[in-house]
Amino acid sequence: MAELADIANATIRQEIAEYLDRPVEIERNIALFARTRPLMQEIAVAVIEGDQVACDRLTRQALEEGVHALEIMDDGLIGGMGIVGIKFRENFIFVPEVLACARSMKAGMAHIEPILSAAGVEPVGTVVMGTVKGDLHDIGKNLCIMMLRGAGFSVIDLGVDTAPDQFIAAVEEHGAPLLGMSALLTTTMPNMGRTIEAFIDAGLRDDVKIMVGGAPVTQEFADDMGADGYGKDALACVALAKQLLGVAA
Amino acid sequence: MSAPLIIIGENIHCTRVVPRKSKRVIDAGGEAIRYLAASGEDHLLRIPEAAKSGQEYREGRIKHVMIALDMAMAGSEPERAAGRTYIAALAAAQERAGAAFLDLNVDEISFKLERQTAAMAWLVRALQEMTTLPLSVDSSNVDIIRAGLAVYDAARARPLLNSASLERSDAIYMAREFNARLVVTAAGEKGMPADAAERLANAGRLIELAARKGFAENDIFIDPLIFPISVDAAYGRHSLDAIRGLRARFGPSVHITGGMSNVSFGIPSRKLINDVFLVLAIEAGADSGIIDPVAARVEDVLALDRSAPTYRLAEDVLLGRDEHCRAYLRAWRKGELTVAVG
Repeated sequence: MAELADIANATIRQEIAEYLDRPVEIERNIALFARTRPLMQEIAVAVIEGDQVACDRLTRQALEEGVHALEIMDDGLIGGMGIVGIKFRENFIFVPEVLACARSMKAGMAHIEPILSAAGVEPVGTVVMGTVKGDLHDIGKNLCIMMLRGAGFSVIDLGVDTAPDQFIAAVEEHGAPLLGMSALLTTTMPNMGRTIEAFIDAGLRDDVKIMVGGAPVTQEFADDMGADGYGKDALACVALAKQLLGVAA
Repeated sequence: MSAPLIIIGENIHCTRVVPRKSKRVIDAGGEAIRYLAASGEDHLLRIPEAAKSGQEYREGRIKHVMIALDMAMAGSEPERAAGRTYIAALAAAQERAGAAFLDLNVDEISFKLERQTAAMAWLVRALQEMTTLPLSVDSSNVDIIRAGLAVYDAARARPLLNSASLERSDAIYMAREFNARLVVTAAGEKGMPADAAERLANAGRLIELAARKGFAENDIFIDPLIFPISVDAAYGRHSLDAIRGLRARFGPSVHITGGMSNVSFGIPSRKLINDVFLVLAIEAGADSGIIDPVAARVEDVLALDRSAPTYRLAEDVLLGRDEHCRAYLRAWRKGELTVAVG
């Protein structure tokens, strides 16, 4: 089994030692970074530090050195974001910093995505996202979309005030295996349940996983209305999306 | 001199929480919140077992207003009295701290409209027996607002309807029907405003509509909408520029308010950010705030030392001069933001 000392990059070693507490997460991250190239670790550090310029430069450098785009995404960008997610969950870092990390990731992905799509490599998964009918709030939903895109998902954004038939049409049109709904108001939350019922009525419920979130939404409410999952913030949304689509964390 | 700020006290909301590890939460043969009753005596709000099953509680937060309201409406006889005493204490604390209105929001008590409307009606009746302050009836659903206004005793001070917007301009008619004053927000018909100009345009259309329906300027409270600075460094300026623009365009009589504490969502030392934002908002022309006056004492806020490093760090965040709040969060990590300002 790999050990912390096997990781070349001192910053990564320190991040794991200082911020990670759950044995399974420590083990997973040590295993990941102990086997990755030093340059991939530098890319991960650029993501963790929210350094957009470095992330852009290092990603280009890696591509020039012949590292495969998929390796850069998985070992560098997503690897770094994994640590960011844990630090945010444990309140070591805050929303503005997570956004800086996401922007850095995006700067790297800008070089990766065209290569992957030209090679016919599918994105991690396609997600349809929208705020439910009657609700105009979109800040939280937009954060989720930013983080999902950062993690390699292809996201169809339906915006706010989205009716059940609009959700259904988008899921069908894009063949999306995953739908995310947001609501910020107790009074519009029931429209999540109504949308799920509309999927049942249309005979499409088994074709799509449905996740929900928003300030008043709880796990209990998500269970009650028959959603497949609930995420309490943008990073939980990404973890949930991966789990629902069976993508490795 | 008139009060520096017309405070719409926002503490009687079913969303409000007390952390379980707060010093106010004690073990008194069962978990209880210690509080000062309106009578001045120490009291306990015992947390019923039934209130301990939800996600909020498991994550360490007690939805105290919702719990008290549930008890007051539907508990056993001693529970009813206990819930009522707690709500009366909240109202008294807001009043002592200078609230001009009490803002009531019960949206989160249930997902069922009949339960929400019943709770609002109950709360309006109960508070009118507890305080002479006018009430601000607040909901994201006009049916819940109607339920509150319908039982409001208008022989007392006029209520405030919170709120109308372009997406529900019919709330303006409802305010007329019940002789209520009116909060209008800058929300658009199809989405939230993207900048100060959209806020001005949206609010402007509503104010003109309200004026045509016979509202006097000083019966209108404009909420330009305040979004979290953590999400976008420009959000502080959007609201502040909108406040300045609204004041310039509509003159001194109209009231300008807003849910000020939204601005600090997502970053630590929220009180510092909230206090400095309130100073900036007043400076820009706001004369009202939907705030918790117990948490933000306006005299103290206005007396902040603006040359203090902590004040300037918060101001830089709020005016978009501290990208990703880097300097602010660095200072927070060094423990420098816990020092009181002024």
